[in-house]
Amino acid sequence: MKSYLALLRGSYMVGLVYRYGFLFNIAGNVLYMSVTYFLWRSIYQGRETLNGLTFDQTYIYVALGSAVFILLKTYVDWQLSFDIREGMIATYLIKPIDLQLYILFTSLGYCLMSLSAITIPTFLLLIFVFHIEIPLGVGLLIFPFSLVLAYLLSFCFDYFVGLLCFYTESIWGLSITKDIIVTVLSGALIPLQFFPDVIQNVLMWLPFQAIYYTPLTMVAQPTLGWETFLPMLGVQLFWVIALFGLTRLFYDQAIKVLRISGG
Amino acid sequence: MSLIHIQNLNKHFKVLNRREGIGGAFRDLFSGSYRTVKAVDDISFDIEAGEIVGYIGPNGAGKSTTIKMMTGILKPSGGTLQVNGLMPYNNRIKQAQIMGVVFGQRTQLWWDLPVIESFKILREIYKVDQKMFDRHMGMFDELVGLKTLYSQQVRTLSLGQRMLCDIAASFLHNPQVVFLDEPTIGLDISVKAKIRSLIKTLNAERNTTIILTTHDLGDVEALCQRIIIIDKGKILYDGDIKRVTALFGAYRTLKLQIDNYADSTLQSLQEKLTEHFGADNGCTIAQTEEFWTDVTFDQARTPLSDVLGQVMANFRVSDVRIVEISMESVVQQVYDGALR
Ligand SMILES: Nc1ncnc2c1ncn2[C@@H]1O[C@H](COP(=O)(O)OP(=O)(O)O)[C@@H](O)[C@H]1O
Ligand SMILES: [Mg+2]
Repeated sequence: MKSYLALLRGSYMVGLVYRYGFLFNIAGNVLYMSVTYFLWRSIYQGRETLNGLTFDQTYIYVALGSAVFILLKTYVDWQLSFDIREGMIATYLIKPIDLQLYILFTSLGYCLMSLSAITIPTFLLLIFVFHIEIPLGVGLLIFPFSLVLAYLLSFCFDYFVGLLCFYTESIWGLSITKDIIVTVLSGALIPLQFFPDVIQNVLMWLPFQAIYYTPLTMVAQPTLGWETFLPMLGVQLFWVIALFGLTRLFYDQAIKVLRISGG
Repeated sequence: MSLIHIQNLNKHFKVLNRREGIGGAFRDLFSGSYRTVKAVDDISFDIEAGEIVGYIGPNGAGKSTTIKMMTGILKPSGGTLQVNGLMPYNNRIKQAQIMGVVFGQRTQLWWDLPVIESFKILREIYKVDQKMFDRHMGMFDELVGLKTLYSQQVRTLSLGQRMLCDIAASFLHNPQVVFLDEPTIGLDISVKAKIRSLIKTLNAERNTTIILTTHDLGDVEALCQRIIIIDKGKILYDGDIKRVTALFGAYRTLKLQIDNYADSTLQSLQEKLTEHFGADNGCTIAQTEEFWTDVTFDQARTPLSDVLGQVMANFRVSDVRIVEISMESVVQQVYDGALR
């Protein structure tokens, strides 16, 4: 375990090296938040609620969504495909560590970096600049745990696509397709309540909503109460365990291809 | 029981015969034809603990592929391979603990971090205790002045400095065996000397087994008692380096830039040398790069001054270089029966 924490610490420091890139991310985020603010203001136009959500609830959801989006983007798929193409994967395989955990903890370091540089500032911006009031509720307490599970889910998808590169050697199309599917089906851009009922029902059975819809709802509607949030957390946990298991099984297959065809 | 035991080991790659152009690439998608590359073809050898073995051969001989199998990265296509009694590819994580590896072309250090941070991370990964860590770091500092590089980002190191760090890192956890794949590639003479002395000292102090691939004969001469020559996946020679140096130590290659070079030049040069030194003169002539004609000769039979004299007397030469025999010529000579 200590060796994986060392990896996390290392990549956090690498993140620090590139901290100026994060400043641009914050700037971009502020711009996005301003645009969506006026966009949703005009959509609401005096109406109290839309699809059961008040303006504040929707806006918190969407604005925080953009910050969480940056946080949950692991780039593990791009990194893995680069490492495979350049043969860097060999320098991982010579170390006495598990590849999946190596990659997970390395990406967690970057994630903590962007948490401190983007997500927390966005929270503060929401409260102090846009004067959005986040009502206090249990959702806020559960949110951090939900976010960790959401990260692990997002990691599984990126890692899965990265492993596909063992077969395809190219990442571009795969990664873009995955990004579109995850972004749209997870409710990263619009709360799922805005989707037609039929589609909502289908999406609830898929793992995508557990990545964005679940944690964002906990902050947008924190007063919904334990009886709503605990099952949501349970569903997240279920998907984390299932997808971790599946990607591990897939790794065992994919690594055979690498080890047979060269690295 | 030897530390490394290899018997009838094979590695075959299936490679797609790519067709030309966009149309070709498109057709490859549906009906690719494959050919088999025998990167490692039925090799056998044993390596004892504490040896330094030079594993040499020209580009594409199969050296890196063998190393990747021994380190558990690649799965052999057939044959037996055991390191310390275990198959590396089935016990990767366990075996990695007793091995150190340096790939000359790529670093295992953290590119964006100061050198010392990489060593600290590796210390955790290999579970090196603080006492051993301090002792090893002290030793590396004594040998190559590593301390002066501690705070420097790996990406800003020169190739030679980076290689010294990579080699030191591969010894950090006191492994039983260290694989060095082309550790001196692209380095100048003085850095090479430093690297050779580092390797030699580490082997002597820790009795670490070292397998070194290179196509620089100077490296093996300086470091190894035993050498294994491989070409096209097959082992050509495995034995004492003295027999090889006795043969090739006296060989030199004279590189000439001949004015008014024509296709007939090589032949007439050959004729002149035969005329003067007799038919069995041990000289080989080839054109290996544009504008340069190579004459490889045995100093014991045909002294440099005589060869040069013959060339100068018969041709207008605008430039001359004298180099040690190349890996490719060694392999050619072995094929021609030099070691039989
Ligand atoms: N992943 C791979 N796929 C197909 N062919 C490969 C692969 N890796 C190596 N080869 C081929 O195997 C042969 C040996 O390569 P290598 O072991 O890298 O040689 P060396 O290290 O001695 O220069 C070469 O012909 C090379 O083209
Ligand atoms: Mg090689």
